[in-house]
Amino acid sequence: MLIDDHSEADLVTLGHVPAMRDYLADLWGRREFAVVVPFNDVRVQNMNTKLGPLWHVINPIMQIAVYWIIFGVVLDVSRGMDNYLGFLIVGVLLFTLSSRVLLDSVRAMERDEGLIRSVQFPRALLPISAVIEQTMAFVPAAGVLLVALLLTGEVPDVSWLAFPFILFIQFLINIGLGLVGARAGFAVRDLSQIISHVIRMLFYFSGVIFEVSRYVEDPALLKFFALNPFYDILVVARWSLVNGELLVWPVLGFFAYATILPAVGMRFFVKAEHRYGG
Amino acid sequence: MSDRIPAAIIEDLHVSYRAYEDPKRNLRGFTMKRHEGLRQTRVHAVRGVSLTIYEGETLGIIGANGSGKSTLMVAMTGLMPIDSGSLRVRSRPRLLSVNAALRPAVSGRRNIIIGGLALGIALAEVTERMDEIIDFVNIGEAIDRPMRTYSSGQRSRLGFAIATMSPPDILLVDEALVVGDEEFKARSQEKIDEIVKGAGAVVIISHSLPDIRENTDRAIWMHHGEIAAEGDPNEVVDAYVAMVHEDREERARRDHENGSAPE
Repeated sequence: MLIDDHSEADLVTLGHVPAMRDYLADLWGRREFAVVVPFNDVRVQNMNTKLGPLWHVINPIMQIAVYWIIFGVVLDVSRGMDNYLGFLIVGVLLFTLSSRVLLDSVRAMERDEGLIRSVQFPRALLPISAVIEQTMAFVPAAGVLLVALLLTGEVPDVSWLAFPFILFIQFLINIGLGLVGARAGFAVRDLSQIISHVIRMLFYFSGVIFEVSRYVEDPALLKFFALNPFYDILVVARWSLVNGELLVWPVLGFFAYATILPAVGMRFFVKAEHRYGG
Repeated sequence: MSDRIPAAIIEDLHVSYRAYEDPKRNLRGFTMKRHEGLRQTRVHAVRGVSLTIYEGETLGIIGANGSGKSTLMVAMTGLMPIDSGSLRVRSRPRLLSVNAALRPAVSGRRNIIIGGLALGIALAEVTERMDEIIDFVNIGEAIDRPMRTYSSGQRSRLGFAIATMSPPDILLVDEALVVGDEEFKARSQEKIDEIVKGAGAVVIISHSLPDIRENTDRAIWMHHGEIAAEGDPNEVVDAYVAMVHEDREERARRDHENGSAPE
């Protein structure tokens, strides 16, 4: 049978793990999904409540208030820090952002099973959209964060300019966490139960409410803390906003996780591409 | 034949998958651990299929249950690892399985947007075509109700409309689709014809032999993971019917012999 050479040449081969380049191009082609769908999800989130979208602002304020009453007033773990409230605000809000990403992504594949079964698209779109949704929901919280810091008497300096960049790096780490979390949560459903306990543990190992370097004096042990990306994020963000100490290992960890986690996470996630939805 | 452009070329394709056998529990079954009782076997479902699918044709696939039809379909989407052979396509074929609600909690209208964007269609285009799509789905006010409240018929209408929003190069239709009423069947047939006219290829699995005779240009008959016959739909269906008929007679004769055998 005669077949036009030209037409046969542009057929693509299937049946193997998709080439990463093609996969990413496919994802890029769906970028509108990753903006429009999360935006709408955030918009309708509190529609059935009386205060509606105001909750995106009220929630972080109440969160700060609760932690401040417990740890700042009742337990007083400040140990004479200059601006403990400012320290606490940065810690609580940024930790919450990344922990929500973890919590959300382990359920992402299960939640959108129907979409996976009905339409074909690169599945990594789902955890990435989940991360973008959490990031969008964080925008009002970031406003609260900055206003609250000013109210605590913090004076903006040059290092504040680094904050948007730091948030972007945290976003990259979150993408990595989201991709790993999504496949892990899909493979082991029980993870959605375990994850909230893991996050509670991380909360204490990330120095959200106390400064780790004041409690841990052994420098070798401090290096060990830097293995925790949540801790690294908080150290760098506190340097930027509340004159926190810039420690070498957490800074290295911060950038290392931002480069390694998304790449490793993407590979890890795509390996199971054909199994999602099943 | 030389002017026909291939949309997919399948060469000597072998596909198998793992399955677990659960043997009958015997006394030993009580003493052994759970996983010991589960024997893993490989089901060699597609055994050396070679097939070229051309642009602008509708191909029907018939065959008994377990003949490898569905496995071949899923393998063609590229979402299942293949053992050997090759599978080359114009673009990743789209498999229609429209039994699931996309996002059960949101309205049909919203699901059209979500599904369209997931397919890579621009938001502006989805919005522009919204009325036309809603008209095609034709489920009245239900379009603004959450998808979880839909009947299976309404769900498959919406699912079909969304999945065919952007005409795929190759559309794979499993029989499960044909659940709608006569009126919707006609509408979806129109849509399929549209895709074929736009130089797409459509592959249909069906147990409805009249459907295959009427609506396909070519048919293949799958038997034990291989292609038993290929060609004109009427001839292939006739051959298949003759075989089924023969099988049944053979079985009846055997049963009869066994029944009349002396005890």
